[in-house]
Amino acid sequence: MTNDPGLKIVIVDASPLRAAILEAGLREAGYVHVMRLAEHSNLLARLHAIDPDVILIDLEDPSRDVVEQMFQVSREVKRPVAMFVDQSDSSTIEAAIEAGVSAYIVDGLKKERVRPIVDMTISRFRAFSRLREELEQTRTALEERKTLDKAKGILMKMKGLDEEAAYALLRRTAMNEKKRMVDIAQSVITAADLFK
Amino acid sequence: MRRLAIGFIPLTDAAVLVAAAKLGFAAAEGLEIDLHREVSWANIRDKVNVGLLDGAHMLAPLAIASSLGLGHVRVPLVAPFALNLNGSAITLAHPIYEAMEATGHDLSSGLGVAQALGDVVRARQAQRLEPLTFSTVYTFSTHTYMLRHVLAAAGLNPDRDVRLVVVPPPFTVESLRSGLIHGFCVGSPWNAVAVEAGVGRIALLGPEIFGWAPEKVLGVHARFAEAEPDVLRRLVRALHAAAHWSETAANHAALAQLLSSPEFLGLPADVLARMLEGRLNTTQAGQPRENPDFLVLHRDGASRPDARHASWIYAQMVRAGQTTYFPADARQAEAVYRADIYDDAMSSPAMGAPPAARPVGDPVNTRFGEPFTSENIEDYLRRIRSI
Repeated sequence: MTNDPGLKIVIVDASPLRAAILEAGLREAGYVHVMRLAEHSNLLARLHAIDPDVILIDLEDPSRDVVEQMFQVSREVKRPVAMFVDQSDSSTIEAAIEAGVSAYIVDGLKKERVRPIVDMTISRFRAFSRLREELEQTRTALEERKTLDKAKGILMKMKGLDEEAAYALLRRTAMNEKKRMVDIAQSVITAADLFK
Repeated sequence: MRRLAIGFIPLTDAAVLVAAAKLGFAAAEGLEIDLHREVSWANIRDKVNVGLLDGAHMLAPLAIASSLGLGHVRVPLVAPFALNLNGSAITLAHPIYEAMEATGHDLSSGLGVAQALGDVVRARQAQRLEPLTFSTVYTFSTHTYMLRHVLAAAGLNPDRDVRLVVVPPPFTVESLRSGLIHGFCVGSPWNAVAVEAGVGRIALLGPEIFGWAPEKVLGVHARFAEAEPDVLRRLVRALHAAAHWSETAANHAALAQLLSSPEFLGLPADVLARMLEGRLNTTQAGQPRENPDFLVLHRDGASRPDARHASWIYAQMVRAGQTTYFPADARQAEAVYRADIYDDAMSSPAMGAPPAARPVGDPVNTRFGEPFTSENIEDYLRRIRSI
């Protein structure tokens, strides 16, 4: 499937889940040397020992500045490393930055050999952030559900309403006040706490 | 209201930007600044490059390196405002400092500290011990050039006699504690954080090495400066007013309080106030070292980009072997510092009298070692044997 199964790829990502998803994707694509680094201490020495062809790093990781040190000719690394993209790749830079990832390759490695790796990284990072958003939405929806139920319970108890009427009252008030039902529900809970 | 996205790294010298955004100085110019906290200088550069940020708190050498295309794709940046001068210090691990004390050099002077460090390094070499490792936060930083200047003054070769590495600020304390590094040169407040944690002591304050070292600038993409000159002038005016407010001693407590909030630095306000006042504890037990120039936010014309500072930075890049000297590159580096934009913004009658000019002579006020001659870079580079 891939022309370059032997390229050594290092993933530097503090999120073990995302790194695992990316690693799985790269392995499926046929890359056999994929390593994950989550620990920061002595990153440069470890990169030196691994001697990767490609480094993929999470933008939220402060260690990007450590990796960029490798641009400088230094005895810490065997080969100078440069970001894979040149001026002509501005759309790829943009896509990568927006997805939250950056890529570095060993100097002299042909762009075409790295392109599929970078494209996959960008798409996995995007998929991961969608997943995280969905998870966040589900969590919020659940929290709101709980708030509504609690407020309904209070109204049922204090005003002697049945569940349906309590719900209708919350909804009507929200519409009149031009607020979200969950905000009205929260006010009911707060008020009830005050009257306790 | 024009909204601007401005990036910053949580450091004391983000003060002027934070004050401009939060205390009404931007609003007075019809601007609304959304501050974006970033974790690396590389992110700052890349986000400004692709336009996710309109501008940022930037290491002055990073703005110049990007404009010259050193180490990365070329990103043409301009610096129309200097956010501060100075603010850095060198912190060393206790055993190293104790060995330096034993050399008999006068550690209250900058040159004495350099000489003592030189003796310690040479003594270790004679005993065939591992070379000492020092860190900065980015290769293209004033911190790197300061450290290299001190090492050179100690008679050492920074590339051969010690190891210079990059350690991001949040990892410096742990790296010093674990012995991964023996010292570092970084900006405020990280020296104080290491001192409070008891893992090291401050050996030298930045202004004891260079009296007026360029540090952070407002960096914006050249295409933004060209497309929206009026917005940029308003931003410069807002920063100027914020810088003036921030440097006023009576406002330091309020500024430290603002910066201490978790969305900015998330550190105790009293520690930050000491940075602003230039009163640093050098050890956990205290032993304050005072210097009114520790962090200069505005006074003596510090906010106006001084092209001589850009040329000093370029010369340090050559000195550090980061690039080869070309007269055209030197001019391009100087052109990153846009005093013309600053002056244009200040020409508004509302801004009052123009700020004082920077002092003449050595523009960085070199305290020991070879002084910088901006009028003749080549001569300077020859004196330090870099060309």
